[in-house]
Parts: sequence; C-alpha cells; structure tokens
Amino acid sequence: MKTAEPLVKMVNISKSFGTVQALKNVDFDVGYQEVMGLVGDNGAGKSTLIKILTGVFPPDTGEIYFEGRKVDIRSPKEARDLGIETVYQDLALIPLMSISRNFFLGREPVVRVGPFKFLDKRRMDHTVQEVLSEIGIRVRSPDEPVAILSGGERQSVAIGRAVRFGAKLLILDEPTSALSVRETHKVLDYILEAKERGLSIIFITHNIYHVYSVADRFTILEHGHKVAVFRKDEVSAEEIIEIIRSGYKGEDDGAA
Amino acid sequence: MAKGTAGGAGSPPRFFHRLALWLRRHPEFGAFAGTIIVFIGFSFTATRFLTADSIASILTVAAELGIVSAGVTFLMISGEFDLSVGSVLGVAAMIFALTAKAGWPHIAGWLLALLASGGIGFLNGFITVRAGIPSFITTLGTMMFWRGILLAVTGGFPVSYFPSGTPWMFLVLNGRFAGQFRASAIWFLGIILLLNLILVRTRYGNAVYATGGNKEAARVLGVCTDRVKLMNFVISAVLAGLAGCIQFARFLSVDPMRGLGLELEAIAAAVIGGTLLTGGAGNLVGTLFGVLLVGMVRSGLVQAGAPAYWYQAFVGLIVVVAVVVNTNLRRWALK
Repeated sequence: MKTAEPLVKMVNISKSFGTVQALKNVDFDVGYQEVMGLVGDNGAGKSTLIKILTGVFPPDTGEIYFEGRKVDIRSPKEARDLGIETVYQDLALIPLMSISRNFFLGREPVVRVGPFKFLDKRRMDHTVQEVLSEIGIRVRSPDEPVAILSGGERQSVAIGRAVRFGAKLLILDEPTSALSVRETHKVLDYILEAKERGLSIIFITHNIYHVYSVADRFTILEHGHKVAVFRKDEVSAEEIIEIIRSGYKGEDDGAA
Repeated sequence: MAKGTAGGAGSPPRFFHRLALWLRRHPEFGAFAGTIIVFIGFSFTATRFLTADSIASILTVAAELGIVSAGVTFLMISGEFDLSVGSVLGVAAMIFALTAKAGWPHIAGWLLALLASGGIGFLNGFITVRAGIPSFITTLGTMMFWRGILLAVTGGFPVSYFPSGTPWMFLVLNGRFAGQFRASAIWFLGIILLLNLILVRTRYGNAVYATGGNKEAARVLGVCTDRVKLMNFVISAVLAGLAGCIQFARFLSVDPMRGLGLELEAIAAAVIGGTLLTGGAGNLVGTLFGVLLVGMVRSGLVQAGAPAYWYQAFVGLIVVVAVVVNTNLRRWALK
C-alpha cells in the first residue's frame, strides 16, 4: 500500500478542548490523486482533524507533512497558500453576493489605476462564465447572486473554484448532505472529475453510500480514535456502517 | 428556478426575467422610485418647491444627514450598527467649537475633531470585535456615554463662536455657492461616490459585502472580518464627526444635544435605500436617494403648509413602506 510518499500525512495528532479529548494519537494520510472518505459518527473527531489540517486551530501534539515536507499551518490562509482548499457545507458561498464576487473572494484580480487597484471585473466575469459552462450551469450573468443557484450548483461552483485556483488537496465537508438525489449524482461526478484533473480529495460525510461510490480509501474515526483504514476492495459499504454502528472497542485495530 | 426558460423575443416572461435580473443588481430602485414620486407630489402641493432655493434647502438638510448615513450604510453592509453617530457628531462639533474659541487654527481643530471621532469609532469596533458582543449594545452604550460627557463638560449650555468674516476653513466645509447652495452638498456627493466606488470596485468592498453576508464563510475564505469591521466603525465615526464640523460651520454654534436622534434617521435613510438591516447587501446610491427622500419630506411638508410635527410621522411611514416594498421586490427578483 505505502509504495509512495503520500500528498499529506498527519502523524500522531492529539487535540483536547478543556477536558474533552477530541483526537487521540491519530495518524491520517491521503495519497496523490486519491479520494479519501473520512467517516464516523457525530463527535468522532472528523471536523477537528480537518480544522487542524486547514489551520483553524493547532494540534496539541503531532506533525503534518505536505508533499513530503513538514509544515506548520497556522491559518486558513496558509493552508490555502499550500494548495489545501476546503468547501464547507454551509460556508461554501455567500448567497447575497454575486457568483463572480464569491468565486474570487479574497484573491480578486485587480487592474492598477495610478496608486489605486480596482477589481478586474471583465476578467472575473470571463473566468466565472468559463467555469460555469464547464460545470454545466446556465445563468444569465456571473453578476447574478448565488442565492438563485440550487444547493448542488453551489457545491459545484465551490469545487470549481478550488480546481481553478490550483488546489492540490480538496476537502469537502458533507458536500451532499442537503442535496436531492439527482443533484447528489452531479456533485459526485464532479468530484471524480476533479480527481481526474489530478487533485486529491478528502470527503467527509455521514452518508456512507455517497462516499463509497467515489472514494478509493476510507478512514473511520470514533470518539477521537482512528478505528480503521480500508481500501475500497477490502470492505463493503454495509461493513463500514456496521463498524461505525458497533462503535469503538478499545485499542484493537478494528479488523472487520 | 425558472432560469433558462425565457420565452421568445419580447414576450412577457422574458421581459420579467430581464426586470428581475436588473432589480437583483439594483436594490436602490425602490428609493429611487419613491424619491421621484414624492418629488412630483410636492411639485404640485407646494408651490415654491421647484425653485432653486428650495432645492438648495433640501440639499442642505440631506447633505448633513447623508454624510452620516453614508458611513452608517457602509458599516451596516458589513453587518454592524452604529447608534453612537449622533453623539459623535455632537462631540466633534463641540471640539471644533471649543478649539476655535480657544484661538486654535481652524484646520487644527477640525483635524482634532476628526481624530477624536476616529478614536471613538475605533473604540466601538474594538469593544464589539474583541468582546464579541452586538454592536447595537456597544454603540448604545457609547451613544449615552459620549452624550453624557458632552453635557457634563458644557454644563448643558450651548457654545457659540463668532469669527470676524468667514474663515476659509468654514467656506471649505460649508460655504455658499450659486445662491443658496452649500459646500456640504459637494462633500456629500463626493463621499457617496467615493464609498460606492470602494464598495463596488475594490477588494475591500468585496470583503465588506462578504463580512456582512456571512462572517464565518468570509473568514474561512481568507477575509479578515474583524479588521473590516473595525475599519468600518472608524469610517462611520469619522464621517459623523465631519458632518458635525460641517454643521457647526453653518450654525456657528453647538449645543450639547446636537445630533440627538440622528442615528435613527441615518439608519432609516440607509434601509429606505435598500440596505439590509442584517448586512451583506445594499449600496450608497440607495442611501443617496433615501437621504434625498427624507430631505424632501422635511422641506416639502413645511412648504406645503403642514405643521412641522408631521415630518416625523411621514418619515416613519416612509421607512415602513419602503422596507416592505424593498423586501418584496428582492423576494420577487430572487424567485
């Protein structure tokens, strides 16, 4: 399995909040061009692990390696500069703002007029129009507010943004949780497309069936411990659900 | 979700789509329409409404309110309130007056007044952001605090200043030109244009919308939301201070109750102009029309022979009607 150095490797990560141990000695890695399903029940530590990886807060112990280099990620911006993009469930886009303003938020292209810098609206709109047509979303104008897009379209736009800005690792937090069946399929297809383009993806979800159809491997967390890691050919979706349901039973490796 | 289903050229569905698209981008439409309607209404009921003098007097009222409201709008779009602008206006005018009386150069007094206003704004922002409390509360507190200080320092008495002739600083701030028109109108229009340019055409403007639209989302996308808010508190307070100095240049006196209740009028003008109370949407052009509407009502009612008491009632009515109309337009346009 471990033939090549993975894209990201988190070693021996622990994190406590007051008296609550959110993560205990967790190892986690994602290979190049791999879709990793990160699954587990509520409170398993999935989002804590991801927030450490994206610089929202530091781990108490442990190390992170990205592309083989040890890294110290201290803010979401630093994570982004490394090429780690996150699409949060409810925080993917800002509904009241236009699609193109959302798309470029925090890294807008500008044109200089003397000492002043103004948004390069033409370039912004052009890029967004291009990405939208790649995804297959039709809108009258990139100036339209995000509010007119459906949930699936919003997820797709957010993923498209990450791809466009050259992300190496894309983290998706419950990307399908609020979507209809048809929209879920569209988003899953789009995740595979992002993988085809060379991205690695961490897919966090409760819905094992959604992640099972696209993931290459699964990491199962339970009460802050890593319970198991499986390749897809080692395990069925039902078995994963069974492991999560039966819960963590001590220090064994949870060999199902 | 009827996008992409437009009918043939010129058919009603297509027309409504176009209209909806346009309305989504122009939340100020309601205030614009209201301004036109009220303007036409007063043109018939108040005989002297359409004279240059009358328009100048509308602008004089609108400009002073508008400079305050512009800052308040900017701050509201980023999701925060400033109830202390009326008190800040009073404090700034008082500083300007007292330093002038003490023989300071006017420009020094003016700069000190703006600096003090900026300091108050910074404090508002710092407390709000650091303590994580609603700015409604922070600025309710500072509104009362600075009003109290103002009363205590002056003992409740007004301060007047009688310069010999009209100093150039007073001309710059609020001198007359072309009959009854005043420099405040130019300040007002310049500030509206500048802030709107920043809002619509710069990265900072994008950050302002994002901060008010969804603070958490903006933060994870790399916007430093606390810094944006802090900055906007300062802008709001400095503009209130500027309005105080401009008003002082007109009256040449200031009493400790100056600017009382102004904060609500400023917020009223902003929401009439389509700025969302909850932040994330709006623009300065809307506020321009909101302020003009309020100014016209004040002047127009007097000219139409209505007792001055009607002014408040009328503005109150307009606020509610405007927000009902704006909200429904927005809802319809997003369907």
